[in-house]
Amino acid sequence: MGFHLNIGKCWRFSDDEQPPYPTIELNVSSADRNAAISPKVDTGFNGSLAIGIEVVKKLRLTPAGTVLVRTAAGNREVPVYALNLSQPDLGISYATLAIGTERSLVGRKILNDRTWLLDCKEERFCIIAQTEMS
Amino acid sequence: MRNVTIMIKPFFEAVRAFKSGPFKSTDLVKRLGYASGYVRNFLSQATRQGLLVPESRAGKREKTFRANPRVVRDIVLRGGKDKEELLNAMGLRSKYFGEYVALDGFEIIDHDQDLYRLGERVFSNREAPGRIVVTNVGVPKKIITVEV
Repeated sequence: MGFHLNIGKCWRFSDDEQPPYPTIELNVSSADRNAAISPKVDTGFNGSLAIGIEVVKKLRLTPAGTVLVRTAAGNREVPVYALNLSQPDLGISYATLAIGTERSLVGRKILNDRTWLLDCKEERFCIIAQTEMS
Repeated sequence: MRNVTIMIKPFFEAVRAFKSGPFKSTDLVKRLGYASGYVRNFLSQATRQGLLVPESRAGKREKTFRANPRVVRDIVLRGGKDKEELLNAMGLRSKYFGEYVALDGFEIIDHDQDLYRLGERVFSNREAPGRIVVTNVGVPKKIITVEV
């Protein structure tokens, strides 16, 4: 018995830096604004979402607090923002807190419990649906 | 801004001693051992800066004061040492060390070791007041790690 891997929804790598990096498209919204964003997939980030200043401005978010985070350079305090996050292909839609960072990142909390294809050759990041082969 | 720095220390001491409860100038002299001239100066400047709210009680000659709950949000958003001092003065360090707390003024409305669980509970309610603020008490046991 084995597994058959079906490639589901894929997102293109972003090439605004070299080598290109994987992204996922997410919908984020505040009380009166919404935006589609393509944060960098960062497996070194154990949270769900980090947003850059351009997203904060677009959604006109004000900080809902400050929290201490651990970075490669040591611990530092960052603002947190309350927003709604949804991604239909992942079946998620909920209110969450996003930390404010220099650039938008999607972390392991969103990647967890799913199988992914990191296809650096074809420059795509895809959801994998496993089906058991009889 | 210079005055805020000068007055923030006795403000934290007042929060430590009286929390969000009322106090009079004589209470500051007795409990904190401040000179009465210093207390008068503190009360007048801290009231002007919005750190304290004066209250007048019918039949009472001496004015009472309370720490302004709005200041909690401002200080938490400012972060740094002042935030740590305030959370200590509020007595949160001993009870919630390593956790995240959601505060509405001096009131702890929720807490959790997991920031995301807390955020979902507090902010999934669309009626959640905008004055709610979330922060860590000490170093979080479940600290968020960003390798950048």
